[in-house]
Amino acid sequence: MEHDYSIAELKHLATEIRKDTLRSITAAGSGHPGGSLSAADIMTALYFQVANLKTPTDPDRDRIFWSKGHIAPLLYTLLAYKGFFPREELITLRKFGSRLQGHPKKDSPPGVETSTGSLGQGLSVAVGCAYAARYDHSPVRVWCLNGDGELQEGQIWEALMAGAHFKLDNLCTIIDNNGLQIDGKVADVMDLGDLAAKVRAFGWHVIEIDGHDMQQCVNALEEAKTVKGQPTAIIAHTIKGKGVSFMEDQAGWHGKAPSQDELAQALRELDGEEGE
Amino acid sequence: METSTLSKLAVRVRYDILQMTTEAGSGHPTSSLSATDLLTGLFFGGTFRFDLHHPQDPCNDRIIFSKGHASPLFYALYEAAGILSQEDLMTYRAMGSPLEGHPTPRFPYAEAATGSLGQGLGIGVGIAMNARYIDKLPYNTYVLMGDSEVAEGSVWEAAELASQYKLDNLVGILDVNRLGQRGETMLDWELDAYEARFAAFGWHTIVLEDGHDLDAVQAAYREIDHACGRPTILIARTVKGKGVSFLENQDGWHGKTLSREQFDRAVVELGPVDLNLFGTIEPPVQTMPARWTPMPQVQATSPNALSTREAYGRALVDIAPSHPEMVVLDAEVSNSTFAATFGRAYPERFFEMYIAEQNMVSVALGLSTRGRVPFVSTFAAFLSRAFDQVRMAQYAMDRANIKFTGSHAGVSIGADGPSQMGLEDIAMFRTLVDSVVLYPADDVSTAALVRLMADHHGICYMRTTREALPRLYQEGDAFTIGGSRTLSRSDDDRVTLVGAGITLHEALKAAETLAASGINARVIDLYSIKPLDIATLRTAAAETAAIITIEDHYAEGGIGEAVAAALSDVATPVFSLAVRKLPMSGKPDELLAYEEIDASAIVRRVQEL
Repeated sequence: MEHDYSIAELKHLATEIRKDTLRSITAAGSGHPGGSLSAADIMTALYFQVANLKTPTDPDRDRIFWSKGHIAPLLYTLLAYKGFFPREELITLRKFGSRLQGHPKKDSPPGVETSTGSLGQGLSVAVGCAYAARYDHSPVRVWCLNGDGELQEGQIWEALMAGAHFKLDNLCTIIDNNGLQIDGKVADVMDLGDLAAKVRAFGWHVIEIDGHDMQQCVNALEEAKTVKGQPTAIIAHTIKGKGVSFMEDQAGWHGKAPSQDELAQALRELDGEEGE
Repeated sequence: METSTLSKLAVRVRYDILQMTTEAGSGHPTSSLSATDLLTGLFFGGTFRFDLHHPQDPCNDRIIFSKGHASPLFYALYEAAGILSQEDLMTYRAMGSPLEGHPTPRFPYAEAATGSLGQGLGIGVGIAMNARYIDKLPYNTYVLMGDSEVAEGSVWEAAELASQYKLDNLVGILDVNRLGQRGETMLDWELDAYEARFAAFGWHTIVLEDGHDLDAVQAAYREIDHACGRPTILIARTVKGKGVSFLENQDGWHGKTLSREQFDRAVVELGPVDLNLFGTIEPPVQTMPARWTPMPQVQATSPNALSTREAYGRALVDIAPSHPEMVVLDAEVSNSTFAATFGRAYPERFFEMYIAEQNMVSVALGLSTRGRVPFVSTFAAFLSRAFDQVRMAQYAMDRANIKFTGSHAGVSIGADGPSQMGLEDIAMFRTLVDSVVLYPADDVSTAALVRLMADHHGICYMRTTREALPRLYQEGDAFTIGGSRTLSRSDDDRVTLVGAGITLHEALKAAETLAASGINARVIDLYSIKPLDIATLRTAAAETAAIITIEDHYAEGGIGEAVAAALSDVATPVFSLAVRKLPMSGKPDELLAYEEIDASAIVRRVQEL
């Protein structure tokens, strides 16, 4: 364990991060709130508890790749909360000249490890990075965040094959299994079948968790560090739009910014949830 | 057919394989020998049904050699069936012979061109979808794959989609010979691992421990259940180079042929070859394909100009009644490309391809080989990952009648940022032999160009724009492939501005500004980027002092280079305004200004002249 937050502290942090994520999307007038909220808990656990990530330039830092690049707003908020750049900058999201691009660009802001946004490519980059770390006998661990929709890209399965073939036990990918993509439920749109069986058949250690249970998130990420001889995939069962009643499990909130009124209601709900 | 007869046919096929590759001096005999028993059993054991004299009979089963380098086996089977002669085989790989190094439809029994690995299953999915959902015919589709090629992600895209569409009329045959081009495959002979993967993807799996035991091969084909709701994969352990002791399971023999002396030794090992023994193939079950007669659907005409992407969706609906061969495919962004408009109107001809662009293109090719006219859409940016599939489609020649549309072209998409911007698409599609590349600037021309694409046989590409653009044309204005429209001209034009799509509007604005300062500019809508309206461009070059092209696309391979190449023999200079800096998020007008392809940049460029 790299840091020592209590589960309650992590949950509080995740709520604040959700709020600032939504504020930045509202300020931008466009962006992807649904997927940002579904991945917020496990990524908070990763950035603030499990990953070795003190500064964005430490050569021995863990590397975290965001293959589902469209939830850049969550990434930026996490990096701001890590202190890698000023939080005030979050509201420049998607503005001309801002470092906070619609989809992530490497080192813009500090802490973005690679440019993504064309789905299905991030895991391959992570495989290359993990392979290099292994080759260098480096302690660096490599993490990746995948959406469930992008698993339809064949390149993901190429990366899974390579990760297992090279026995990259310093690599863990988190699959944000929120069950929705642009057009509707992934299962309606495309029945992924038994996802765990598929990933296992491709040679990965699989852990399935409730991606909104902070303790399970921390435990799964820690377990990934102990696996030997194969990479790990954490299938985090999540809810798109988690934490905001009118966004939860609604495909319509895939790529739509909340209005000021909707933001106000969302913030109230998130604060209320905190109070409970 | 008796197993003993099949064995003799397999000997003949092996003999042919060795003979033609030795004669050609190149080719892949060992990769052919590993699959010989599997395919001899399929063709001549009663499973494969095909009328050899009518290869385009819609009721025929279909076979795709996804491992196209096993072409010697492919041709040998048709020799053993009596379609090719021994003399024909001797032309293998020779210039002008239909028996090319990797199969193409120059040999009419090849459904499409293969040889770029990992694409055959997707083509097979398209053909099987046609049988199940369109022609509603009982034919089956077989795809021979090598074990090396299942490392291609496109295979898993196809596997996923086949399962999703419950294609139990699709059979994959996996030739697990353990050796790739340079050595062992990732999984060696781990049949269980292959089985687990395909089973997890929802396939019915049949494992064949010895792919050279013809009784077992025949039993495996009998085990296929075409009513189980799942595609079938036959996973067969085979030996590369099977039948010739010094080739068997030997690394270093991939893509290598025998010397004459080695050939003579190999033939001795094969045993007696009976060239008077021919295999027979079962005829197909004859039924009539279903017909589709789409009813016209009324769409209220929009008083306001629509974005070209929105106009694309409406145009698809409009042309359906006169184009019953059309099908529409989209990679899970149909609400952005507006292919969804067609999907709502004619759900029976709309097929969701999910986030798997490579497979989408292969499926389109498969459908096209069966006479369908696929309209394929996604963001222009994401077609680039499928360009190998597009490239291979052109080698299917007249069987590739596919209409691609890439939406969200250019930096003008704005806030989503560079990962979503199509900036290479014109260059890609221009490279294809005989391709058509179109780029409408308003909704009226979009509708006209969609109709032109539908009526043009071959590979066409149209790029559409995210932003709503003002209407420039009226219903009935003429558009042609290879045409252009001149929107502003006078007898005193000093300069010609050539735009298309969103930059045409910038050119028109610039022309107004220039006119106010006494400079007349000719403005040409170059909606047909390939072929180009060279006559109009030449006239403009003769009548004005300079030509300025403006495009929301990278400079390389784009409109500027196309025009400059077409006018390379005239003195009038051609200047190109194009995307030259790495773009970023922002508003559309901010990005057009940043890349210097907006009206002010055009005015500045003219003033510099």
